[in-house]
Amino acid sequence: MVSVDEAVSAGIKKIATEIEAITSLSGYPETAYHLPITYAISGKAVSDAASAKKVYLDTNRSPLIGNEILVAAGDRTEDPPYTGFIEDSIIRKLGYSLVDGSILGLALIVGNPEKADHAAAICRELQEKLMLTFLAGGVIRSLTGAGVKVGLELRLVPLGKTSLKAVHFTDILARVAMMFGGVAPGDAHRLVSYAADRAKAFVIVFPGMTEEEIACIDALRVLGIPVLHMGGYEGGNFIRVALPDAVRTGMEMRGIRVQVTAIPIPMACSPAFEGKAIRKEEMYAEFGGTRSPAFELLRTADQKEVTDGKVTVIGPEIDQIPEKSAAPLGIIVEVTGKAMKKEYEPVLERRIHNFINYGEGTWHSAQRDLIWVRISREAVSQGIKIEHLGKLLAAKFRMDFPTLVDAVQVTLITDPERIIGERKKAEAVYQERDERIAGMKDSDVDLYYSCTLCQTFAPNHVCVITPERPALCGALTWLDGRTAYEMSPAGANQPIGRGTVINADTGEFEGVNRFVRQASHGEIERCVLYSIMDAPMTCCGCFEAVAMILPETNGIMIVTREYKGVTPSGMTFSTLAGTIGGGAQTPGFIGISKGYILSDRFIQAEGGLSRIVWMPSVLKEELGNRLSEKIQAAGLLGFYEKIADETITTDIEGLLTFLTSVDHPALNMPPLF
Amino acid sequence: MNYTYSPGWTTAVREVIIGATPDEGGTRRISYRIGGEQDLPFIGSSGHKPLIAFEICDDPAIWPEVVRCACTKLIDRPADWAAYADTVLRADLIRINLTSTKRRNFSDFDGVIKTVKSILAATSLPLLIEGSADLEIDSEVYQRCGEAGQGERLVLGTAEAARYRSVAAAAIAYGHCVIAQSPIDVNLAKQLNILLREAGVADDRIIIDPYTGALGYGFEYTYSTMERIRFAALKGDMDLAMPLISAPSDSLTVKEVRESVYSHEAAIAWEVATSVAAALAGAVILVVRHPGSVPPLKEAIDTLWTEKEGV
Repeated sequence: MVSVDEAVSAGIKKIATEIEAITSLSGYPETAYHLPITYAISGKAVSDAASAKKVYLDTNRSPLIGNEILVAAGDRTEDPPYTGFIEDSIIRKLGYSLVDGSILGLALIVGNPEKADHAAAICRELQEKLMLTFLAGGVIRSLTGAGVKVGLELRLVPLGKTSLKAVHFTDILARVAMMFGGVAPGDAHRLVSYAADRAKAFVIVFPGMTEEEIACIDALRVLGIPVLHMGGYEGGNFIRVALPDAVRTGMEMRGIRVQVTAIPIPMACSPAFEGKAIRKEEMYAEFGGTRSPAFELLRTADQKEVTDGKVTVIGPEIDQIPEKSAAPLGIIVEVTGKAMKKEYEPVLERRIHNFINYGEGTWHSAQRDLIWVRISREAVSQGIKIEHLGKLLAAKFRMDFPTLVDAVQVTLITDPERIIGERKKAEAVYQERDERIAGMKDSDVDLYYSCTLCQTFAPNHVCVITPERPALCGALTWLDGRTAYEMSPAGANQPIGRGTVINADTGEFEGVNRFVRQASHGEIERCVLYSIMDAPMTCCGCFEAVAMILPETNGIMIVTREYKGVTPSGMTFSTLAGTIGGGAQTPGFIGISKGYILSDRFIQAEGGLSRIVWMPSVLKEELGNRLSEKIQAAGLLGFYEKIADETITTDIEGLLTFLTSVDHPALNMPPLF
Repeated sequence: MNYTYSPGWTTAVREVIIGATPDEGGTRRISYRIGGEQDLPFIGSSGHKPLIAFEICDDPAIWPEVVRCACTKLIDRPADWAAYADTVLRADLIRINLTSTKRRNFSDFDGVIKTVKSILAATSLPLLIEGSADLEIDSEVYQRCGEAGQGERLVLGTAEAARYRSVAAAAIAYGHCVIAQSPIDVNLAKQLNILLREAGVADDRIIIDPYTGALGYGFEYTYSTMERIRFAALKGDMDLAMPLISAPSDSLTVKEVRESVYSHEAAIAWEVATSVAAALAGAVILVVRHPGSVPPLKEAIDTLWTEKEGV
């Protein structure tokens, strides 16, 4: 067992002594970057022993530079298959493949493996995962002895006979940083951040390295490159891993992800099938939909508990479920990922609905413990099993959320007894989530999110999404906006710093104004979030409902998309929508989501809920109890009955008569104008 | 009535240099500096005079019928075709569209590079290369094209949101510019520019192609998108402050041209009218395919951008 700390300090001293003894040295002829590591770190073009020694001392005896000087001054000849120093034109191609994505990352393997097949297994896995692997030291002899072919074209690059030649891996990194990363020679700080952020690399070491070699490899950590080993070392910052986990651990540490492109199930799977229903006659079996217990839950789990792609079915498989029957189904999706957060769980969970519907022979409806799933007879005859639902979900989550999710495993429960207990646990999670979201206030966060998806047809429209004001289409909450931003940082949902509060009551914020001005291409100067009269938010055309003032009543009416009839404004929903859409700011009119009506911030600037004088009965019923609760909380006793609907009147005179008869509070509120 | 024009522009469009002379490390006889506009065309400073690029291809099978009829002798000889565009048509730029890469199961990478090299030898004008459009072969095509033109500051196209990595990599590795195309949408144009920057492409190496619909088939949409990209840039959005290129190639396949008895006249009228309109919206590279389009387009540009207007 070698102590890394002791070997590193002894190695550093030995390197210093050896450099002292150097008498001659020359730069590499095959590059424009002299001694590339030295050049990148110090900006000095070293061409002889004296200048090399000076740079070495000036950089406080950097082992990376020391390593490069020793190798440059030593025997540089290498017999095939060893490559030795690799020339610039090949590095350019390599860098191209890294930017282009045909190489996902870089690995370096050094040392002398005790068993050749251990090294061979690691190399095979690296090749399969589109990594470019560099080899230095005894590991190359082990591999070639075991019949493994090496060479640049095979993505296994044999640098040299000793592990010290791993320096050529580092000089490649240095050159890639200068060629592709715009890192100026001598800007060590940029070099380090480029290597850490962009050059996705890690090292796997086998035992049997000299102290100098250990010191040089250890120095790579400065560049953010982790060093993994499977035994033979202790202490220091070398990370111990089990052999089968080595490659996966390295890739996870550097955030290197293999893209999933094919879903391994005997069924077509595409958004094209999303709208396809499975009728009773076409169905093989169904799950949930009040016919049998069912639920779905997505949760984050500890990395150790999740094996990517693993699917477990607890209970009978499809062939043991009688045709045309209703069986229980619990879907538990467990994900891990460095960027994954608990808040994303409901957003991702919602995608189960889309993904199952993508399957040509599977159908999904509703959410949580209300789900209803069907599998078609045709799909079952083609070999679809319950297990494949899991495979489908695991693959789709990996494909669609590559930056959030590193590993996904799915458990499917069809056992009628097991499901009851699991469902109870899931219900506790739903409740916890509801409390968390329901409790979120606009003032709890500093960042809101924009949505400019609709600018394709409403060129200057900007939605501002806050915890208490969902997007006007009703499809995006604040959490969804945040998730969308994290998944696609250059996309249509951007964070908006709230900035200085101009008026907390009307919801005017300096940061929101600035953002809207810029994102509306200078069209909209101000956006007052909780107002209908003063610089209200623009409307695209997707709004679930329109709220508009009825000047005669000193109040507002709300009409939803579903309501086809005429309203007291004299206009139908579609006429209104055509009038206010397209990205215009129309004081007196706002496009809103239904959810916003129940928000405490609902037209707070004009007095909120008590301004509502009319809404269609379909909306009134939909909001039902939730609206009553809000009314009660606001102390507006009997207000629910004071809101007119089309069964009471659809003209303004009728409405006025009604409002006066019930003594509607809007009549006595401050004038809207 | 007094009218004061004060649009409140804060920013100039970035300048992009295309082509490299021997002094600049290439072999072209001229290089162009495009962009730099501080206002809309013909208001304030008009920026540089638009350039005309003549586009040829290496496999005429999918080239518009009307152009194949007009370029009969040259159609299978890209190098001669390029020389003709340079010396006879007097285009400012040549664009080679590697249509051969769009055939099913394409694999003749060597052949394509031979064509690119022969064109670089046949003309000393700066070159635009329109490469493959298939993720399967993009990596190899763009790497080889980039390498073949190293030092020449080519303009490589086309980067799109779903496949931009190979084009970007070739531009970074071999020092070229990129055409970033989005489907007539200002926000997608911006998003693609950000993606390119994150991949490592410098902002002054990007040219925006907002996609040009044919006149009567969506060009007004293109026009307004170009205007909006330019407004955003002048108001300070640096993610959109790049020069614009317009390639109205759709114009040559519209029904009015295909079915016209006077198809050449129709083709020229359609290409020139669309190009001039694009120039008025701010495009500084106008790509045409019909040889007859070059002289009238040149005349129109010269008339509009007189000496004192142009730079």
